[in-house]
Amino acid sequence: MIEVKGLKKSFGNLHVLKGIDEVISDKEVVCVIGPSGSGKSTFLRCINLLEVPTEGSIKIDGKLVELNGINETRKKMGMVFQNFNLFPHMNTLDNVAIGPIKVNNVPKAKAYEEAMELLKMVGLSDKAKVYPSSLSGGQKQRVAIARALAMKPEIMLFDEPTSALDPEMVGEVLEVMRNLAHNGMTMIIVTHEMGFAREVSNRVLFMDEGIIVEKGSPDQIFGDPQNERTKSFLSKVL
Amino acid sequence: MEILELYLKGITVALKGIPITIGVSLVAVFIGVLLGLIIALQKMSKFKIVRWPANVYVEVFRGTPLIVQALILAYGVPQLLQSNDIPFKWPYLIIPAIIVCGLNSAAYVAEVIRSGLQAVDKGQMEAARSLGMSKGMAMKLIIIPQAFRIILPALGNELITLIKETAVLSYVGVVEILRRGTLWNASSFETFPAYVGVAIVYLLLTIPLSRIVAYAEGRMAQSDRS
Repeated sequence: MIEVKGLKKSFGNLHVLKGIDEVISDKEVVCVIGPSGSGKSTFLRCINLLEVPTEGSIKIDGKLVELNGINETRKKMGMVFQNFNLFPHMNTLDNVAIGPIKVNNVPKAKAYEEAMELLKMVGLSDKAKVYPSSLSGGQKQRVAIARALAMKPEIMLFDEPTSALDPEMVGEVLEVMRNLAHNGMTMIIVTHEMGFAREVSNRVLFMDEGIIVEKGSPDQIFGDPQNERTKSFLSKVL
Repeated sequence: MEILELYLKGITVALKGIPITIGVSLVAVFIGVLLGLIIALQKMSKFKIVRWPANVYVEVFRGTPLIVQALILAYGVPQLLQSNDIPFKWPYLIIPAIIVCGLNSAAYVAEVIRSGLQAVDKGQMEAARSLGMSKGMAMKLIIIPQAFRIILPALGNELITLIKETAVLSYVGVVEILRRGTLWNASSFETFPAYVGVAIVYLLLTIPLSRIVAYAEGRMAQSDRS
């Protein structure tokens, strides 16, 4: 369970998050939507302290997330980035296996075996020995998901995972995420894919100008939004 | 025919200096890279007290001529120690020569490495940290290997520069390429063939190296098109 209390984040005079309170239960799939600049990515990045909050607290299973001991906390949280951020000097298999080998001291043979399983799961076992530069965007993002999963996280954070993809590659990445959701992974997804958000999430948060303006089930948010800003945003993107 | 032989003699004399010149340059670049990496990391620290010595180091070694540094270490330091009743003499003058070239090179390489580290995409550090890696581990496994690929051509250029710079070591008793030519000139008075021979031998080293660097740069540019 993730508990976010009074979360604020400022960059100098720019107040990106102005007080976020939210509880996300285990196995919940939560999509965060909203216009660009609304703070949704910052919110996500605060959860694993890639951004250090200016104020407020984040607790995971009752334990405060703080810089002291952050490496242990991050092992439990996989993160997938908009720009993939695969390690370009390692092949696909090494990209997936390096976390377990170096961070969790998993024996190499076992780590590679598990990495291979994960590559199979995302449909890329034939690309194990290939370097990221020769993969398509969709393939890169699927490897990035496998890399995050290799640490056996309890929570997966997705920061606009399909925003940098060509349209024809969005589907393959969403398919992998859909499977994860169905298998009971706790997921927080910042996304612009409204159809996917509606289909896969248990709950949708609509953010604007640094606060959560409206939240509810996908049917509520997409079918019967109450707030004017939500309505206006959805009318533009749907 | 006799003239041609003179020039050939000039070249063959200078050629004998190659092992020393190359040896000093390679060891110096090696020291330069190791020390330069440490200085670069220091310069990127968030703590002023860590950055400060690194900045002073770079200022001093880049702000004074290599020959002055070489004279201080090769002759000045022994004199200082001896005048304080510490018996000290360099067993071989090539030792202070290598040290000073390494220390000097480190100051330049530090800047190269720092720019290389900063050229690695910020997302790489974030991805590594999000896997639970410590900052040091992420640096070692993810950032530094990529930075070195980026700066490899610049390091090649540093080696080329150093090969030429080591000529000043002929003033502190190291018998490298230039010193060989100077000595032959002193005994034969064939000044022009002697120094032209020296120049040709330097070119024999620097031209192939700069070709290799250019080739490596081309390869890099290709592999970056991802």
